[in-house]
Amino acid sequence: MKILSVSTATNHLSVALNQAEQVLAEVNEQDERNHSEHLAPVIAAMLVKKQLKLKDLDRFAVAIGPGSYTGLRIGVTTVKMFASILNIPVVGISTLAALAANVPAPNTLVLALIDARNTNYFAGAYLAGKSLIPDGHYPLEQLVNQVQALCMKHGYELTLVGSGLTAASVAFKAAGCAFQLGAKESNYPHAGVIGRLAINAKPVDPDMLLPNYLRRTQAEVDWHHQTGQDYQPDSNYVEEV
Amino acid sequence: MTEKKAIRILAYESSCDETSTSVVKNGTEIESLIVATQIKSHQRFGGVVPEVASRHHIEVVSQITKEALAEANCSWHDIDAIAVTYGPGLVGALLIGVSAAKAAAMATDLPLIGVDHIMGHIMAAQLTAPITYPALALQVSGGHTEIVLLHDPVHFEIIGDTRDDAAGEAYDKIGRVLGVNYPAGKTIDAWAHQGHDTFHFPRAMMHEDDYDFSFSGLKSAFINTCHHADQIHETLNKLDLAASFQAAVIDVLSDKTMRAIKAYQPNTFIMGGGVAANLGLRECMANEIAKLPAKEQPRVILPPLKLCGDNAAMIGAAAYNLYQAGQFADLTLNADPSLELPYAESMLN
Ligand SMILES: Nc1ncnc2c1ncn2[C@@H]1O[C@H](COP(=O)(O)OP(=O)(O)OP(=O)(O)O)[C@@H](O)[C@H]1O
Ligand SMILES: [Mg+2]
Repeated sequence: MKILSVSTATNHLSVALNQAEQVLAEVNEQDERNHSEHLAPVIAAMLVKKQLKLKDLDRFAVAIGPGSYTGLRIGVTTVKMFASILNIPVVGISTLAALAANVPAPNTLVLALIDARNTNYFAGAYLAGKSLIPDGHYPLEQLVNQVQALCMKHGYELTLVGSGLTAASVAFKAAGCAFQLGAKESNYPHAGVIGRLAINAKPVDPDMLLPNYLRRTQAEVDWHHQTGQDYQPDSNYVEEV
Repeated sequence: MTEKKAIRILAYESSCDETSTSVVKNGTEIESLIVATQIKSHQRFGGVVPEVASRHHIEVVSQITKEALAEANCSWHDIDAIAVTYGPGLVGALLIGVSAAKAAAMATDLPLIGVDHIMGHIMAAQLTAPITYPALALQVSGGHTEIVLLHDPVHFEIIGDTRDDAAGEAYDKIGRVLGVNYPAGKTIDAWAHQGHDTFHFPRAMMHEDDYDFSFSGLKSAFINTCHHADQIHETLNKLDLAASFQAAVIDVLSDKTMRAIKAYQPNTFIMGGGVAANLGLRECMANEIAKLPAKEQPRVILPPLKLCGDNAAMIGAAAYNLYQAGQFADLTLNADPSLELPYAESMLN
């Protein structure tokens, strides 16, 4: 199974071609902010190098979030259009699951973090690929408490990966919770890893493939509080005219 | 004799609060046009919220691609190029169209064309009647109020611009004061037809020797009039307020535009953008031009109301001209939120 995978969820761009578990090619651009300009050319160059066409692929995979809203949409839009036009299955992979899968150590709880500012994080905790704390938007303090409780109860080792690790480290230390930091390379999503996770993920209708923002927009939250009205599905607000 | 092969362009538009796709044949014929509007969503907030707009765009973009092809009875094999608005507009919103169009071009091996949204608005005229050049366009929309000289189908030059608010923006702002939800232009236009110009608001920059506009003075005069009435608990006639505002806007727009028409003697006069749907403005411009000596009258093209607001058909029309001129984009195409048509030399000082 040939898989093309993409992550534009963070400020690192990652693109990979997998033959099942095996990573045939992976390109990573660190601290590259201009995903919109780079993503398509990087994909095109990789395909040329491997003498493949998009239509030769068996599956597309993309980090669907959490992450930078604009970044997520670039990757998800690109992959959703490929899949829709070429009729090739597509899967969305949690950015946090992809980060956690960078650390394959057994009996280690991997806390994947994406800094969401103001001591909040998009975070999820994984044990050998299994989600133990669901992906969500958490205050750091709550994460420390939950993770510490899990580690104490089950005797897990703890590894932190992702971004905003300095502040997180201070908080875990202050709580007296022992931890390790992942290797530098494990702090950003690797498309090759996403490709591996994609093998067993369930394909979705490309039209339904959407970023998993994990947060409503501030405008909607304010509107909800000010008017007391309930949130409606987004499809209620868009009409064809 | 073999017929010349038709050129079909699939176009995307997502610069603001409409996601739209269209198949346009030979730059003149709309074979399909899908417009998914988010107005209902943004009305919750009284105006367009960029992050909400971007989220809605991505929800529909693949679906409306299929719909545009189906409605045109086309498959990808019938399409010759893919076009997309890459600016100006909201960056996050533009990025959905740009990413989708690039992905579509890659998946289909079709050429890609990046289109300036304002060039698109003006080229809605090409879907209505043939344009002969040089042409002159009054571009009036939510973010732009410009007089544009069209040397040929792809060389445009701004000869007049607003120094502050755009006309549509002014409509939306005074609409808010009158309690009209965004976008207010259509309702104010309807009210204006039922009222009278009793307030005589100032006509800014009517007598200066350039083709620039200003609406902030008018807007302030309008708002001050309303606030003052509020303070003394007087109720003003909304229909007359709307009529007075619209009369001032139309006077300013038509005065400068007529002056430009007389100076440049274009073969065609075009109106484009959301405010070009304004019935008062359409009527006024048609009347003023009819008053010119017969041989000085440009042909007038006012696109149907449906093509004045944001839509992908106008992008397909402009893209056809770029296709003929060999102006293609590559896969590095990016959104450019502050893209501008070139300014005439006279404007650069
Ligand atoms: N009948 C009308 N009279 C006056 N204004 C109108 C009318 N109909 C629509 N408008 C105004 O047109 C504007 C929307 O036009 P359009 O969609 O072309 O603008 P935009 O895409 O937001 O901005 P731009 O095209 O400049 O980037 C709104 O400000 C709206 O109030
Ligand atoms: Mg517009």
